[in-house]
Amino acid sequence: METADRLVPALELRGISKKFGRVTALEGVDLTARSGEILAIVGDNGAGKSTLIKAISGIYRPDDGEILVDGQSSTFTSPADARAAGIATVFQDLALVECLDVSTNMFIGQLPKKGWFVDRKRMDAESRRFLDELKVTVADVHTQIGMLSGGQRQIIAIARAVRAGARTVLLDEPTAALGVRETKHAADIITALREAGNAVIVVSHDIEFVFAFADRIQVMRLGRVAGVRKTAETTREEIISLITGTKQEATA
Amino acid sequence: MSAPFHTDVATSTSNQTAAAVTSSRRRRLADQVRDKTQLAGIVAVIVVLVVIFQIGNPVFLSPGNVIELLRSGTLYFIVACPATLVLVGGGIDFSAGAVYATGGVSAALLMVAGIPWPIAVLLGVAIGAVLGILNAALSVYLKVPPLIATLGVFFIASGVITVMTGGNSVFGFPATFTDLGQGYLLGVPFLVYYALVIGVVFWVLLEKTTLGYNARAVGGNRAAASANGIRVRKHDLIVYGIAGGVAALAGIMGAARFSSADPAAGGSGLTFQVVTAVIIGGTSLFGGIGSIAGSALGALLFATINNGLAVINVNSLWQNIFVGAILVFAVAIDQARRGRQFLSRK
Repeated sequence: METADRLVPALELRGISKKFGRVTALEGVDLTARSGEILAIVGDNGAGKSTLIKAISGIYRPDDGEILVDGQSSTFTSPADARAAGIATVFQDLALVECLDVSTNMFIGQLPKKGWFVDRKRMDAESRRFLDELKVTVADVHTQIGMLSGGQRQIIAIARAVRAGARTVLLDEPTAALGVRETKHAADIITALREAGNAVIVVSHDIEFVFAFADRIQVMRLGRVAGVRKTAETTREEIISLITGTKQEATA
Repeated sequence: MSAPFHTDVATSTSNQTAAAVTSSRRRRLADQVRDKTQLAGIVAVIVVLVVIFQIGNPVFLSPGNVIELLRSGTLYFIVACPATLVLVGGGIDFSAGAVYATGGVSAALLMVAGIPWPIAVLLGVAIGAVLGILNAALSVYLKVPPLIATLGVFFIASGVITVMTGGNSVFGFPATFTDLGQGYLLGVPFLVYYALVIGVVFWVLLEKTTLGYNARAVGGNRAAASANGIRVRKHDLIVYGIAGGVAALAGIMGAARFSSADPAAGGSGLTFQVVTAVIIGGTSLFGGIGSIAGSALGALLFATINNGLAVINVNSLWQNIFVGAILVFAVAIDQARRGRQFLSRK
C-alpha cells in the first residue's frame, strides 16, 4: 500500500447521528476505515451497530454528520449510491434472492448487458471466475440460492461484494449462522479482502473471531462510540468492559 | 439434499465435485420438469376439455369456432402479459379491468371529437400508463398496499368514465380504425397477431432484459433487490406504467373490434380473469416466479371454458365454478412448490 492510501481513510464518518422518532439510535458517531485493514465493530444488542451499517450502506440517511469516501464528502440517498461510491455491504440476512440462481444473484443491480439484453453468458463466466478466485468450488452457477446452505450463501454474498469492485466492504455478522469449517472459510475470504487492499468493516458478536482477525476494534454502546482499540494493544477484558459499560471513557 | 458445491477446497476431491455436478444437473432437470409439469397439467386440462366439448358438439373444433375461441382469448392474454410482469415483480394489479375500459372510452371520445385516430390511440395508451403509474405511486409513496391502491384506481377510473359517458357506449369511429380490430390476414383475425407480437415482446422483456431480471429480484426479495442497488420504487413505477398502458391498448383494440367503447367493458370480470389466468399459468402470487408461456396457457384455458360451455349449451354461470376450482388448485400447487424449494434449507 502506498502511504497516500494510509493517510486518507477509505471511509470516514464524522459525528453521524440518527433518530427514529424520539429514539436516538446513533449519536455523534465517528469511524475510520483504512485500506488493507480490518476494523471490527462490536457492541451489545441495541448499541447501534445495525443502524450504523445501514447508514454507511445508504439504507438510512443520517440526520446529522458527514460521510467521507477517500476524503471526499458524500451523501448516500440509496444503496445504489453507496455501491457507486465503492462501498459494498454483506448483510446479516445476506440480501440474496432465493428464487434466483447464483450467477444472477452475483450481478443483481449491475447486470452486464449486450445491446438491449442481459449478457447471460458473461454473467455466468464471470461468476465462475470470481468464485474460483475465492476458491469456492461451485458445481453450477445456475443453482438456486434457495438450495444452498447458510455458509454457502454467506460466501456467495461476500463474493458478490468483491465482484462489485468495492474498495470498502462491510460485513454484518459474517459468521453468525456458520459452522466451524464455514467460519474458517469466511475468515479466509475476509483476510483475502484485506490483503487485496480493501478496507474491511466487520460487525460481529464473536469476540474470538474479532481478536483473531481484526486490526482495530471499535466498541459501540447505546448509540455512541465507547472506544476504539488496536487489537494488539488491548485485551478481551477491556473490550468486554467497554461493551457492558463497566469501563467508561470520556467521548468528545 | 446434498450440497451442490463445496466451501472447503482442501477436501473437495475431483470425485466429490463430479458427484456434486451430477446431483446439481439432476436437480436442475427436476426443477425444469416440475415447471414443465405445471404447464403440462394445464395443457392436459385443456385437452380433456376440448375432448368433452367436441363430443358435446362437433362444431367446437370447426375452424370458424377455433378462430372465434382464439379471438375471444386475445384481449385477456394481452392484458395478462403485463399482469405477469407485475405479479413476478411482487405486485398485483386489480385496476386492469377499469384501465381497459378507460383506454377504450378515452380514445373513443377523442376520435368522436375529431382527433385523428393514431393520436387518439396514443393518448388513450398514455392515459392508461398514467393510471398505472398512479397505482405504483400510491403504493410506493403513500404506502397503500398494491391490492388496495389498484382497487381504488379501479373504482375511480371506472367512475370517471361512467360519469363522462353517462354510462352509454361511445361509437362512430373512422373505418380505418375499426378495420384494425376487425380485419383478417390469411383467415386469422388481426387481433390474434397483435396478441402474438405482444406475447413475444413480453417474453423477451421478462426473460432477457434487465427489467425482467429486476422484476424477479424485486418480487423474490424486495429488501435484497433494494440493498443491491435496484431502484425498487422506479422499478414499480415503470412496471405498473407499462401494465396500465397495455391494458388501455387492449381496451382500444376492443373498441376497434366491437366498433364501440363501453364504459362497463372489462371491469371486475376482466380483472379477475386476468389475474386468475396468470396464476393458473404458474406465476407465483408471492412474486419472483412466472412465465409468459404459462399466462398464455392460462388465458387459453379460460377462452376454452368460456367458448366450450356456450357451444355445448351449458349455462355460462357454470363457468365460474370451473374457474374457481382450477384457481384454488393452481395456488395449492404454487404453495407446494415454494414449500419444497425453500423450507428445505434450514
